[in-house]
Amino acid sequence: MRKRLVLVMLLAVAALPLLAAVGCELNDPDRDVKRLFPQSTGYRTIYASILGRGGAALLQRVEQRLGDRFKGLFETADVPYTLYHIFKGQETIGYIHGVNQKGRYGGIQAVLALDVDGRILAFYYQRLTNSSARLLRDPAFGAQFTGLNLRDFDAYDPASGHADPGGRIAAIRNPAPGAEDDFRATLRAVKKNLILCDEFLLGNKFLEREKSQ
Amino acid sequence: MKKISIYQIAAKNLLRKRTRSALTLVGIGLSAWVLASLLGFNRGYDSALKKDIDNMGFQVLLTAKGCPYEAATLMLKGGTGLRYMDETVVADILSQSEVESVTPMLMQAVFDPERGDSGAIDAYLGIDPATYPQMKSFLKFKQGGWFKDPDAHVAVLGYEAAELEQREVGDKLLIPDKNIELTVVGILERSGTQDDGTIFVPIRMLQKEFGQQGKLTAVGIKVERKADTAALENRLYELPDVQVVSMAQVKNTIMSLVATAKVMVLSIAVIAILISMLGVINTILMSVLERTQEIGIMKSMGAMPADVFRMIWTETIILCLLGGTLGLAMAFSLAKVTDLLIRRLLPYTPTGSLILISPGLMITTFTVVLGIGLISGVYPAWRAARVRPLESIRSEGD
Repeated sequence: MRKRLVLVMLLAVAALPLLAAVGCELNDPDRDVKRLFPQSTGYRTIYASILGRGGAALLQRVEQRLGDRFKGLFETADVPYTLYHIFKGQETIGYIHGVNQKGRYGGIQAVLALDVDGRILAFYYQRLTNSSARLLRDPAFGAQFTGLNLRDFDAYDPASGHADPGGRIAAIRNPAPGAEDDFRATLRAVKKNLILCDEFLLGNKFLEREKSQ
Repeated sequence: MKKISIYQIAAKNLLRKRTRSALTLVGIGLSAWVLASLLGFNRGYDSALKKDIDNMGFQVLLTAKGCPYEAATLMLKGGTGLRYMDETVVADILSQSEVESVTPMLMQAVFDPERGDSGAIDAYLGIDPATYPQMKSFLKFKQGGWFKDPDAHVAVLGYEAAELEQREVGDKLLIPDKNIELTVVGILERSGTQDDGTIFVPIRMLQKEFGQQGKLTAVGIKVERKADTAALENRLYELPDVQVVSMAQVKNTIMSLVATAKVMVLSIAVIAILISMLGVINTILMSVLERTQEIGIMKSMGAMPADVFRMIWTETIILCLLGGTLGLAMAFSLAKVTDLLIRRLLPYTPTGSLILISPGLMITTFTVVLGIGLISGVYPAWRAARVRPLESIRSEGD
């Protein structure tokens, strides 16, 4: 057993440079955590990848829940995600997680702050390239996501962009009609972000509900 | 009657105190590991740095005067304060007999206020599709290839730039501020060099879009294989308002910076070797002292001082042979880990393997460890050889 442990540790260290893909880390975690959770007293950084947590089976489940395939050179199962577990004293008060999403003119980094139940407390773009970026970065646009959770995205199909007409996602207004691609990419990024938070942080509590429905 | 060899006796003696022998073995192994890794680092770093510099494709870089401040200018002014050379300098350089080929470059940067929290700089390297790809023939493509038209609104992205922007061939890129759309035609494979983070665009298009027609920020110069680079550099210095950056100078500067780190590591290696030497002397001497009566009996049965000396020395050699093997195995198998640790410690490390463990280096390490063992074993073996049989037997029970 001890031999195996040493071997695994050595392999893990030796394999570090092999991590090819890039995750989405906060620009300045100390500052960003304090801004999103002013009452926080500390945070812990967790690194997770679909490959490391469940491999092909997990990738398939995430794609199924997302309603879209992982695409392209950089949306792969080995992308290491950086998740921030936020504390007030010993108590967990929330999470922060950002994902990369392909946008029309560049990478979009969509960051969510969640409460312990997986409800969105804040949404913002850490990175966005678009001539209408100013409109999408407007706090009023981000505020439309506050209070939503993964259940609200159940009926949203990122592949077609179709949302339940009476649902809360259909109610989200695109402030930049010329940037429809990036608006849809944002909705996909938020849904993917919530799914990954459910898988990596919340113990799949929304998955259980999806199954029971 | 079965004869027993001196090597068997030595091995059996070592096995009598297994923990002590094992600890000594580990000590020698660690010293050999440090030594082999250090020697491997000496070779690996030089070789990796040379490869990195060769991978630049040119041996001399000509920039407009003031370009060492280019990075700061880029950050502070978004490229507006860049210094430029006139394109005619290319013809002047090509007229030099030592020059094999040249490639003109133009770096431009724009400030994107919508990126990040307080905006960020996007930099674009304008290159000549007729000359640059030839100089950088080692660059491989993950998708697509180089552009051919120097006026086209296209781009080739280094792997990390593409990853950050999530771009693939056929995707669009936007030059912020100017609202110029580019189409991605190539994604490079990861090269481990600065090219990974670069956005390459056709030079004429960049000159035109940024209003810098006929201007360059740098010229890469490939020198003929047997040409006198120093003489060429001296002549290039005579060109007005340019400065010459020799890759050989860059290499020497980096090597002199790293030399300090190497001296520190060498000191640690020497200390480790001295400690392991003391460990060997201690182990063998203790063993000799514990076996004084036994050695006395051996001598009274006819063993000569030379036999005893050889037996004790053999114990040292066995320890050093095994320790050396252990150390080399560690150096070989943990080279990647050592590489990773060095990269975290040094401010600049070239790409490629920093630890090169060759058969020659293994032989050198083994010889050094064995030499140390032989020297360390002399005193205990001499003490053992001097044991007087009667005195040692009489001392039993004292």
